[in-house]
Amino acid sequence: MHEFDLHYLSDDADYADSMQQGSASMTRSGNSNRNSSSEQVGAEIVYLKDNVAIHPTQHAWERIRGRLKLIKQGGSLLMTWIPYEGQSSSARLSEKDKSLYTIRAVPFSDIRSIRRHTPTLGWQYAIVVLSSGLAFPPLYFYNGGLKEFLATIKQHIFLVRSAEDANIFLVNDLQDPLQRTLSSLELPRAISVANSPTSSIAPSESSFSRTDSETIDKNSAFIQQNGRQRQNHNDPRHLSIQVLEKFSLVTRFARETKSQFLREAHGDGFISNAMRKHDKKPNNSFVVEYNDVHKPLEDVHVPADLSEYDYDKLSLVWGKPRQPPLGSKEWSTFLDSEGKVKDSQALRKRIFYGGVEKGLRKEVWRFLLGYHSYDSTYAEREYLAPIRKSEYETIKNQWKSITKEQAKRFTKFRERKALIEKDVVRTDRSIPFYDGDDNSNVKCLRDILLTYSFYNFDLGYCQGMSDLLSPILYVMEDESQSFWCFVALMERLGPNFNRDQNGVHSQLFALSKLVELLDNPLHNYFQQKDCLNYFFCFRWVLIQFKREFDFEKTMRLWEVLWTHYLSEHLHLYVCVAILRRHRSKIIGEEMDFDTLLKFINELSGHINLDATLRDAEALCICAGENGEACIPPGTPPSLPFEITSMYNQQDDDDIL
Amino acid sequence: MPSRRRTLLKVIILGDSGVGKTSLMNQYVNKKFSNQYKATIGADFLTKEVQFEDRLFTLQIWDTAGQERFQSLGVAFYRGADCCVLVYDVNSMKSFENLNNWREEFLIQASPSDPENFPFVVLGNKVDVDGGNSRVVSEKKARAWCASKGNIPYFETSAKEGTNVEEAFQCIAKNALKSGEEEEIYLPDTIDVAASSQQRTGGCEC
Repeated sequence: MHEFDLHYLSDDADYADSMQQGSASMTRSGNSNRNSSSEQVGAEIVYLKDNVAIHPTQHAWERIRGRLKLIKQGGSLLMTWIPYEGQSSSARLSEKDKSLYTIRAVPFSDIRSIRRHTPTLGWQYAIVVLSSGLAFPPLYFYNGGLKEFLATIKQHIFLVRSAEDANIFLVNDLQDPLQRTLSSLELPRAISVANSPTSSIAPSESSFSRTDSETIDKNSAFIQQNGRQRQNHNDPRHLSIQVLEKFSLVTRFARETKSQFLREAHGDGFISNAMRKHDKKPNNSFVVEYNDVHKPLEDVHVPADLSEYDYDKLSLVWGKPRQPPLGSKEWSTFLDSEGKVKDSQALRKRIFYGGVEKGLRKEVWRFLLGYHSYDSTYAEREYLAPIRKSEYETIKNQWKSITKEQAKRFTKFRERKALIEKDVVRTDRSIPFYDGDDNSNVKCLRDILLTYSFYNFDLGYCQGMSDLLSPILYVMEDESQSFWCFVALMERLGPNFNRDQNGVHSQLFALSKLVELLDNPLHNYFQQKDCLNYFFCFRWVLIQFKREFDFEKTMRLWEVLWTHYLSEHLHLYVCVAILRRHRSKIIGEEMDFDTLLKFINELSGHINLDATLRDAEALCICAGENGEACIPPGTPPSLPFEITSMYNQQDDDDIL
Repeated sequence: MPSRRRTLLKVIILGDSGVGKTSLMNQYVNKKFSNQYKATIGADFLTKEVQFEDRLFTLQIWDTAGQERFQSLGVAFYRGADCCVLVYDVNSMKSFENLNNWREEFLIQASPSDPENFPFVVLGNKVDVDGGNSRVVSEKKARAWCASKGNIPYFETSAKEGTNVEEAFQCIAKNALKSGEEEEIYLPDTIDVAASSQQRTGGCEC
């Protein structure tokens, strides 16, 4: 673990004067201050600065000016930045843009850090980074006041200066951010405050955090959990500015995407549902609906001009709420009169956020897997069906026609067949579809796998393939179609089963790079424990979490992964999301390779799919290009560059 | 006063796919057999407390995937092993013939300090199948191979019926103990708790 000195603002001459005149809130002792502040009624503006602007483009003349405020509300401190009405510096900046960038009552419990920029030439500005790692665009203090801004914050909440960069101020760095939501990209290394020489700050810090938590999330069980873990995980973090500034861009991107999404999504089920929920709240409530994890912030009353439902901001903190699965009625709207998918991107996006209804899977999976191309017509698909069926029968006959006498002299065939037969009878037998003696679907699994091992003789059969095929056959209920869908899937996942295991190894390598990017302390921990091979995630990656979720949830996850909507490698972000959900336990219990492997194996059946997908989505967006840069080209399930070089036949191969 | 010092004994189970590695491990540790075990992907392990001469040991039994294609993972899973259990199916000649490959592969990947004397135990499993009528590897043949490899202890087992499983693992633990020079290990609290309760309920069986 890294250890470094904590620097406090009180050590900083810059702040000496403002501290003298300020209330002695940071030197308060524990609960007394908490009581006095939390008993206050209503909101109090503790800081107000005019002429604070953002630059939505790189052109300095395009700016939106507004008013920055800090509001004390109960035990919480909120930040708002509201653009002025009708004062755009450029005609190109519409009211919509303004509302896009408006910061409506962000509680400091959602803020990770603030970076101060004080260039010798030009305006001072600050970048506010949320717990999720996302950042608001830089706020330019045209009339000065950045110093006071930070000093005022410091009077009300725990603020600590990063040891590595004196311009970074860590906010509210108390709770395990993972447990809070997604969320946080923890770029930076963590230290334990308890171990640091300056642990005397602990009382004031926890008093704030408790007040804050109780006010905001009184009823929420996970905060209690935080309380328990807080002791071990006070992790002051410092942030890499390059990455931060990147996030600032990502934030803009996310907001723009989102606002477009909102414009498009009239009548969309989950949006209107969220809006309805909001409508039930009193007008002056700032409501944040984080689906099943966060409770509405009903106790936080803010002035009426802040009451607008800030749906926009939510996706910055966590992935979007899951939608209901795609149904047949909606599906038909994606098809044109000839049966072509009009907008495959829109379709994939829809499925990414909600999956597909059970009864519709048979039809939609063929597109997702590539058995049908999106621009094929009804007529083409109808024409191709019997052709593919007969192609399948031809390949199947290659092994069907092997006589007993021939098989006697064909050891590799016998061994391959025996291996498949051993595995199909232990694949998903608890599902009624595969249950019972002499089950014809189990035989069908065997036939398809054996046929595949002839179709792709070099790759052959490998354990894990039956796990991948089983849901496909269950959905398709048709042997030849299942075969071709499986073939299409194996074009992407085949390298997982290469003899040298290079497909899995390249994914585990990419995973290690992603964890390094998205959770550096966890990466350092794995490094320290000699766990960077990530073999404990081997099963997750080899068969795409098939053993980690029940049958139905596996199918939901797979159809989301197969959309390749945000990334072809969303499954790696799913890995990161799950690891991050358990990071405090992993680090807190000092798991070594063995215990970690055991722990990961035993997570099977205990992973919340929807929450994990939302985490993964947010992590993927947060990581952006940096994330994709972690993943070497050609890493499965990307299609390989050269299909022909994919399977290296080796002479020492003794199982066909 | 018995010593309460804990030691960890790491045991690796190897053998062809479907010979019953997972079943043997579960029969020994949980006294359970299921027809529904899935093919092992990657690796997993179970632990069991064993007692020898008033001393308590944690037997950590590693179950691995049987397909040769997964052997590249061995480096990570085999290291630090104190004993290696080679399993074959008495009804499958191929699984018996492969014992030598598994043994050599293990020695290469685990690279124990004294490969000549590294303890192996061989188990011929599934002796219950078809009342022994489908058996293709004779006990004599198996024992001859074990003798040729430096007198490897040999047991004929049925994971399904529990035949000889306890005896085999007693022997495995003893051999692991001989090789592992009782490295002190740190066990997290959670495992300590589970282990001591297990010890209370199952202590007399040692």
